Amino acid sequence: MSNTRISSRIEALGAYLPETVLTTRELSGEAPGLGDVDVERITGIEERRVHDPDPEAGEDSFGMALAAARDCLAASRHRAADLDIVISASITRFTDGGRFLFEPSFAALLARALGARSAGHFDVSNACAGMMTGVHLLDRMIRSGAVSNGLVVSGEQATRVARTAARELTDSYDPQFASLSVGDSAAAVVLDRATDGADRIDYVELMTCSAYSHLCMGMPSDRSEGIALYTDNRKMHDRERLKLWPRFHSDFLTKNGRDFAGEEFDYIIQHQVGTRFIDYANMTGSQEFGTPMPTSLSVVERFGNTATTSHFLTLREHLRAGTARRGSRFLLVPAASGVVTGALSATITNVGV
Amino acid sequence: MVITAAGTAAHTDAATPASAVDLAARAARDCLARAQLAPSAVGVLINVGVYRESNTFEPAVAALVQKEVGINLDYIADPEPAACFSLDLMNGASGVLNAVQAGQALLDTASAERLLITAADVHPGGSASRDPHYPYADLAGALLLERSADPDAGFGPVRHYAADGPPAADGHLDTEGYLDTEGYLDTGTMGTDGRSLITVRRAQGHERRTAGLATAAVADYATRYGLDLDRTRVIGPHPAADGLDTTAGEPHTAAPVLGYLRALAERDRPRRHERLLFVTVAAGAGATCVSYRPEAW
Repeated sequence: MSNTRISSRIEALGAYLPETVLTTRELSGEAPGLGDVDVERITGIEERRVHDPDPEAGEDSFGMALAAARDCLAASRHRAADLDIVISASITRFTDGGRFLFEPSFAALLARALGARSAGHFDVSNACAGMMTGVHLLDRMIRSGAVSNGLVVSGEQATRVARTAARELTDSYDPQFASLSVGDSAAAVVLDRATDGADRIDYVELMTCSAYSHLCMGMPSDRSEGIALYTDNRKMHDRERLKLWPRFHSDFLTKNGRDFAGEEFDYIIQHQVGTRFIDYANMTGSQEFGTPMPTSLSVVERFGNTATTSHFLTLREHLRAGTARRGSRFLLVPAASGVVTGALSATITNVGV
Repeated sequence: MVITAAGTAAHTDAATPASAVDLAARAARDCLARAQLAPSAVGVLINVGVYRESNTFEPAVAALVQKEVGINLDYIADPEPAACFSLDLMNGASGVLNAVQAGQALLDTASAERLLITAADVHPGGSASRDPHYPYADLAGALLLERSADPDAGFGPVRHYAADGPPAADGHLDTEGYLDTEGYLDTGTMGTDGRSLITVRRAQGHERRTAGLATAAVADYATRYGLDLDRTRVIGPHPAADGLDTTAGEPHTAAPVLGYLRALAERDRPRRHERLLFVTVAAGAGATCVSYRPEAW
């Protein structure tokens, strides 16, 4: 469905996960306002990884992003010095311990630290659709011939908002309740020019429906020292919002003389909000498209909602574990504050993981 | 890709806190009005501002701007849905030029017909003038861009020039050598005031270093793409040198938009320039250049 002769492909995937595990039960124990609310039952999240707060551990957003980028490059045919562009997508841009960085860009620092001397660079910020947004731009830059390859990377100290929520929330209807579902991680992906149909991004189409842009806001708390995320979960994930993806995706396919069933996706990866959300999103897709959904992949049970990294972390984990077959066609569906929705379709066979 | 319209908005009402969302939306509406276009004409909205009210980190400021301007509010509820995608793209002072780079790829691959870039910066506390250590002004610029039928008109290639210097140690900024500007919120000392605090630090020699990087980049770009610098108006990297008003603080990411509007206003002066050359330097990390040839001058 490319309107240029060049297509891009997912060439390599990498990740970094902190070793420390925090169970949902332990996190709930830190939240006196919760009472006996069973967060694990509501979200389906058993545990998540949390960063080591010691600056020497190198698990701030920057350190984790750098580790994921190196992991990705180790699995790639490309060296850092050969990268044309580095795009960073972190929401939480923590470096030097507790500094939340606005400039320079994380991408400038990462390109430098990786030794990507000649690479252009910039940050994108688009809530949980950040890496998808970076991949969208990079795919277009490769297809237009502006670059021949690039790296999209993100590292998230997402659990900082979980700690604030645990301290501050008063009940399960609190706007910070959703913050308890997040986990820390970093992920990276190298894209380059496709050489055949075995590895190719068919399309990445994204859309923002801005009427709902205020439903999930992240900023420092004014009640205690920490950053916080305030989400109107009910409105954010109601049925009408979930219909945006199938409607938009369906319109795109129709314009190109195709339909969902004909796409023959093998796997679908929804944004890893929680097990119930994933089931609900797939159910809505099935109803709206009028066809069963492909096999749904998730890692949310073990890693929680890892924000920008969720789709690429899920893809990488399942390819490594062999629980997703190579040679398959994958559909990645973002769901982010904004609200952002859309679809990434890719055939993946020889990717380095 | 050519500039269809450009607009600006400054914070003038001292009684209300400055908002990057409001300023960007005003500049964007100004662009649309000049171009006589409806909000639904915008296919992609990229906000490149670095500093924003309350240090908001989610959602993209662009999504909030999109709502203010009334673009693609709800794809399902709208009787004539016109999808728009918005994102924040940040790279210090080079944001507009990087957005042009991304925008060229989006328009070239027919991802969108029109692109709106907004460049809005405000002090997170709501007033730049109340913080003597914060160098930037509370203001916004916007550019509306579209494809041109004239193959000789529009932006040339966007080119990045890396700064020389020792590699930064893992996870640590190197403000003494390679990077010379840092803007951050210190969350370890912010207490409950994190929504209104911001630290911007510049190393000594920032202006000299910026000028050096820009001069070298302009010379290389001109040679590489055969530009006659005598007939080229260079915009950047110092707003004051471009004749821009810096009394209320320096224009930050909006500087290329303001420089463009000034060049447009002065185009009838005797010394005619056939093209513009934008140059920006992002926090000392490197320079970015792009040429621009207007359709009609």
